[in-house]
Amino acid sequence: MKKLFLTILALALIPVGTQAQEITLKGKELFGDMKARHIGPALMSGRINDLELHPTNSRIMYAGTAGGGVWKSSDGGATYAPIFDDHVQSIGVVTLDPNNPDQVIWVGTGETWTRNSVSVGDGLYRSTDGGGTWKEIPGFEDSERIASVVINPDNSDIVYVGVLGALWSDSEDRGVYKTTDGGKTWNKILYVNPSTGAGDVLMDPKNPNTLYVSMWEFRRSGWGFNSGGENSAIYKSTDAGKTWNKIHNGFPEGKLGRIGLAVAPSDANRLYAVLETEDKTKNGLWVSKDAGSSWEHLNNDFGLVVRPFYFSRITVDPRNPDIILKGGLSGSISRDGGKTFKNLGNMHSDIHDIVFHINDSDIIYSGTDGGVYRSWNGGTTFEIVENLPLSQFYHISTDNAEPYNVYGGLQDNGSWWGPSSSPGGVEARDWNSVGAGDGFRVLKHPTKNIIYSEMQGAENVWRYDVDKNRTKTIQPLPKKGDAELRFNWNAPMAVSAHVPDRFYMGSQFVHKSDDMGDTWTIISPDLTTNDPNKQDQSKSGGLSVDNSGAENHTTIFTIAESPLDQNVLWVGTDDGNVQVTQDGGKNWNNVTPNLVGIPANTWVYHIEASVHGKGTAYAVFEGHTTGDMKPYALKTTDFGKTWKNIISDDIDAKAFVRNIQEDYENEDLLFLGTEFGLYVTVDGGENWSHFTNNMPPVAVHFIDMQKETNDIVMGTHGRGVIIIDDISPLREVNQNILSKDVHFFETEPVTMVEQGGFSGNFGAETQFVGNNKPTSARIIYYLKKRHTFGKMTMEIQDMEGNTLTKLSPGKSKGINVVTWGFNTTNPKMAAAKTLSFGGFTSPRVPEGKYKVVLTKGKDTYEHIIETKYDDTAITTAADRKNQEKMTQTMFDMVEDLAYVVYEIGEMQTKAQDVIDNNPKGEKVAQNLYDALEDLRTDLVVTTGDNYVASAEPELRERMGELYANIAGSYDRVTGAQMQNYELIKEEFEAEKKRFAEIKNKEGKKFMKFLEKNEMELEVESKEEFLSDK
Amino acid sequence: MKTLKTLFIALFVVAIAPVAQAQTADEIITAYFENTGGMDAWGELEGVKMIASANAQGMEIPVEIYQMKDGRQMVKINLQGQEITQFAFDGETMWTTNFMTGEAEKSDAETTANMKQTVGDFPNPFYNYADHGYSVELLGTETKEGTETYKIKLTQQPTMKDGKEEDNISYHYFDTENMVIIASESEANGQMMTNTMSDYQEIDGLYFPFDMGMAGQNITIKEIILNPEVSDTMFAFPEKK
Repeated sequence: MKKLFLTILALALIPVGTQAQEITLKGKELFGDMKARHIGPALMSGRINDLELHPTNSRIMYAGTAGGGVWKSSDGGATYAPIFDDHVQSIGVVTLDPNNPDQVIWVGTGETWTRNSVSVGDGLYRSTDGGGTWKEIPGFEDSERIASVVINPDNSDIVYVGVLGALWSDSEDRGVYKTTDGGKTWNKILYVNPSTGAGDVLMDPKNPNTLYVSMWEFRRSGWGFNSGGENSAIYKSTDAGKTWNKIHNGFPEGKLGRIGLAVAPSDANRLYAVLETEDKTKNGLWVSKDAGSSWEHLNNDFGLVVRPFYFSRITVDPRNPDIILKGGLSGSISRDGGKTFKNLGNMHSDIHDIVFHINDSDIIYSGTDGGVYRSWNGGTTFEIVENLPLSQFYHISTDNAEPYNVYGGLQDNGSWWGPSSSPGGVEARDWNSVGAGDGFRVLKHPTKNIIYSEMQGAENVWRYDVDKNRTKTIQPLPKKGDAELRFNWNAPMAVSAHVPDRFYMGSQFVHKSDDMGDTWTIISPDLTTNDPNKQDQSKSGGLSVDNSGAENHTTIFTIAESPLDQNVLWVGTDDGNVQVTQDGGKNWNNVTPNLVGIPANTWVYHIEASVHGKGTAYAVFEGHTTGDMKPYALKTTDFGKTWKNIISDDIDAKAFVRNIQEDYENEDLLFLGTEFGLYVTVDGGENWSHFTNNMPPVAVHFIDMQKETNDIVMGTHGRGVIIIDDISPLREVNQNILSKDVHFFETEPVTMVEQGGFSGNFGAETQFVGNNKPTSARIIYYLKKRHTFGKMTMEIQDMEGNTLTKLSPGKSKGINVVTWGFNTTNPKMAAAKTLSFGGFTSPRVPEGKYKVVLTKGKDTYEHIIETKYDDTAITTAADRKNQEKMTQTMFDMVEDLAYVVYEIGEMQTKAQDVIDNNPKGEKVAQNLYDALEDLRTDLVVTTGDNYVASAEPELRERMGELYANIAGSYDRVTGAQMQNYELIKEEFEAEKKRFAEIKNKEGKKFMKFLEKNEMELEVESKEEFLSDK
Repeated sequence: MKTLKTLFIALFVVAIAPVAQAQTADEIITAYFENTGGMDAWGELEGVKMIASANAQGMEIPVEIYQMKDGRQMVKINLQGQEITQFAFDGETMWTTNFMTGEAEKSDAETTANMKQTVGDFPNPFYNYADHGYSVELLGTETKEGTETYKIKLTQQPTMKDGKEEDNISYHYFDTENMVIIASESEANGQMMTNTMSDYQEIDGLYFPFDMGMAGQNITIKEIILNPEVSDTMFAFPEKK
C-alpha cells in the first residue's frame, strides 16, 4: 500500500520535475507576508467627496474620500476604518440601499469635485455584506466619475446611476442609467452629448417615479478648465425616467454651469438649486416651491457662488425645509429658507458634502479638503475626526536621521515633516508644519538642518532653519530683461548631491543657486514648447473665472541631477520635452524626438537619474490630462539617444505612471508609482507585480528609497505616507532562489537599538497612530509553498546549538518576515499568590552570531544572523559585560528561588497528604508543614491581589524587580543596584540556610516516617523543573 | 490504516485539485471535513482538550483549551505557576478571571448571550451549518498567505453589540490544493481581524491546525486529547465563598 502510494505521489510530481519552467511569481505569491505600513499623517486628514449616513442606525456612517477609499464608522463618527482597500481609492458617491442599509452598499468611484489634481475612478461596486466584500457591477468600467446612485425605496432592484464621466476628454459613457433587475442590465435613460455629464440625481421623497437630474457641460485640459455650456440643465421625469423635460422656468437665458440640486425631505414640492449662469446677478441659490414648475432667485452671496465646480452641494434639513446647508469655501447655513446665510464655524476650508444627523439637526457632519468634521451645536463649532489618514501628498523625500524623517507637501494642507518611527507609534503630535497653502516638494538640505519648501506656483519658496526657527523666502524672481517666469502649480525643486548648498528650481528655465537660494542664475533656455495656446489662464474656469494658477502650463516639471556627475542634469516638462545637459547647463540636448511610444506633448512627470551609469535614466510620462490613461516608462543608458519601454502587460491599462524609483544596488529592481498603487519589477521591467499587502491601489505620486534602511517610502495622494520596510530581499530574488523550498535572505548585522523613552498618550484614544518600523532583527526567508501540513517551527540558537528562544515563523508562500527582539526566554518564577512583574522580563543576548533554525517536517534549515551593540551606547564595554553578568546572576538567583519554593511546595503537599491520611505521622508532618509555611511566607507573597489589595513585597518580588531593572537597562549596573543585590543575596542565603535547617530537623523526621511507612517524596531535579517552562 | 487513508485522500486532492473547477461552497466544505477525517468521525467527536502555548517574544505561556460538543468551553493559562481561567462557559454562564483580584467574574449579559449562540459550533461552525440556520456563499478564489484559496462567506445569527443587533459575518479561506482552512477573517470593533491556521496534524484520524496566528499572536498546540475527561466544576462559575 505504502509503495503504491509513493508511486502516485511521484507521478503527481513528475510534470513539475521534468519541465524546467521559469518561475515567475507575481503579486501576493511573491511578496508573501511582506507588508506595507502606514504612518499618516491624519492630523490634517484629506479631501472628502461624499458622506452617507445609515437611515436608522445613528452609529453607522460612511465617508467616500477623494483619494483614500471608503471609510466606515460604527461608533457615530468617533472613529473610522477603511472598507474598500482592494479597489480604486477615488470615490464619487456612497449610497446605502434604503431597504437593506445594514448590508447593501453601492459605491460609485471617481471623485466628482473636479479640481486639477483629482484621481480617477473605474466603475461601480456593490457590497451585500456591509462592506466586507465588494463586487464590480459591469457596465461602468469607463465611467471615470460617478456622481449619484439612487435606489427606489419600494424596490431595491430599481436603481439610477448618474455618470458625470471623463474630465479630460469626450465620453459617451456619461448620463443617467437605470436598472430594474438589481444591476444585471442597464439602460441609459438620459444622455445629452459627449461633453455633458450627470451630476445630482434625485428622487422625489414621496414618489419614486419622479426624478430630477442636473446635467453639466464641462472639460478640463492640462492648461485650462471650462465649466458651462448650452447643455447644462435640470431635467425632470415623472415616469421613472422614460421621458424628461427641462425645468428652467424663471432661469436666465444662455449657458449654465455646474448645478447643485436638492429636494427637501419634508416637503417634496420644495426644490433648491445653485446655478452658475452668464448673468452674475442671477448666480447662486434658487428655489422652487412647486416641484420645479417655476423658480425664484434667492441669494448670490459669495458662499453660494464660490467655485461651483468644487462646491455645489446643498443639503436640506430632513425635518425643516427652511434650513439649508451649502458646501463652499467655509460652508453656509440658512435658517430662513435660503434668503440669508451665515458662514459655518471654523473647520478646514473647502466643504464638499455636509449632512444632518438622522435624528438631531444640532449634529452636523461635514466633509472638507481636510477630513470629516462634527458639530454638536448646529454648525457653529466643529471638531475634526482624528483617525482618517487621507493626506494627499504631491511629493515626499527622506533624510538620513535615525529614525529617518519624511518630508512632503499636501493638497491644500501645507507642507510637513515627521518621523518614520516614534515612541508609541507615529502620532499627530510627531508632525511639524513647514509651509502654508498647498504644499508640494519639501527637501532637506543634505548636510545642514535646513528644509526647503514651497507653495503653489512657487509663489513662495521657503528656506527654514530648523534649529534657529527662522524662515526666509527665496524663490527665483525675474530680473531686468528676463521673460515672465512660468512656474508649474507643483514647481520642481532639487538639491545637489555634490554641492550641498546648491539648489535648483524650474520655471520654463532651470534656475541654479549655489548659496541655498539667496542668488539665482538661469542656466538654460526655455526648455518647454512655449506654446502660447497653452498659456492664457486668465480665462480659465468657464462661466466662473477660476485662475488659481493650477492650470499654468508649458513649464518644467522635473529636474534630476545625476548622482554620479554634477554636470549631468535631466529636465522634463509638462508639455512633453525631455532635455539633458552634460556640461552643467551650457548646452542642452532636447532628446524628445528619441522617445519611443510616447504621444507628443505627454507630461514628463518624473525623471530618475540612475546610480548605475552616468547616461542612465528613467523617465515616466502621463497623459491623463488629455484622457490618455496608459502607463508609460522608458529607460535610457546613453544620455537619451535611445530609449527602451519598460512597461509590461501586467500593469493595469489605465494605471498612468507618476513616479519611478530605482534600487541603488540591483539595476533590475524598480518601483513604479501609478494611479492605482505600486508595482514592482525584479527583472528590469519584463514582469511587474502589483504590491497589495496592506497597500491599497491609491495614487502613488512619489517614491523615495531611504538608503540606510532600504525602505521604500511612498507619498500617496489619499492615504498619506506608506512605507515598505527593507526591500533588500527583493534584490536577491532570482530563478535559483525561487526554485528552492526554503531560502533565507542575507541580512546585514543588525543593531540592537538601545533607545527607549516614554510615550504617554492619553487624549489620543480616537487618533490615528502610524505603525513603527520594528527595531527587532528581521529574519527573512522565502517558502516555495505555503506550509499547511505538519510541524514547522523556528528557534534561535547560540552557535553551540543551545536553544535561546522560540519564534513563530510565517508560513506564507513567498517572502516571510519574522522578527526577533534579541531576547532569550524569561526566568521561571517562584509560584505565589500574586504575579511578580519582574519575571516577565527576558534577558537580551550579547552581540554576536546566532543560528536561526527552521524545522519544517523532517527538514531543517539554518541561517546565521549577527547582532551588534548600538553605536550610541551610553555604557562602556566593560560595564556592559558586567551588566550582562549581573543579569545572568540575578536570572539564576530568581530561578534558584523558584526551585526552593517548588521544593517547599512539594514537601508541604506530601506533609498535607500524611496529615490527612496517616494519623500516626500527623505530628511530624504538621511540624514540617508549619516550619515550611513560615519560611514560604517570607519568600513569596501569599496574600492579597495584583492591585491595591496587594501584600507587602517579599523576597521574590524584590528579587524579581532588581533582576528586571538590571536586565532591562542599557546602562551600567548602578551602585544602588549593587548594594540592593548584596542585601537580597544575603537574605536569600539566610533563607536557604533556614530551609536546610528545616530539612535537617523537621524534614529528617518526616523523611524517616515516610521511609518507615514505605512512602516516597518525589521531587523533580532542578534541571527537570527548569526545563518545564 | 485510517491515517493512511486520510493522508491518501489529501494527497489525491493535491494531484487533482488544480483541474477541478466550478466548486460550490458545499463541495468545498464537504471536502474539507472529508480531508480532515470524515464527516462521521467529526460527528462522533465529543470534545477536545488542547495543550498549547502562547508565544510572545521571550515568553511562552502555557494554555489549556477545552471545547465540548455541548458548547462548554474553557481556556486556562498558567502564569508563574498560577492557573488562571481566562474564560469559561458552562452552556449558561460565561465567566472570566479578574486580573486585578484573581477572582471569577461573570461576563456581561450581551457577551454571554452571544456566546450562547455558538453552542453547536462544534467542531467548527461549518459542521452541519444549515441545521443551525447559518448560510454559506463561495465568493471566488483569492490569494491568501501567498497561495490560492477559496473564499467562503459564513453568515451566522446576528450578535448583539452595545444594545444593537449586528450582522455576524466571517470569511474563511480554504486552500484550493487540499481544502483545509488556512485563514479566517471577521470584523471586531470596525477592524477586520485575520486568523491563520497551519501545521495541520493528525490525531486519531482527525486533522487539526497545530499553529494558529491571531492578530500577530501565535498559539502553538503541543498536544490534542480527543474526548477528554471533564467535570462540570471546570466550566461552572465558582460561587464566592
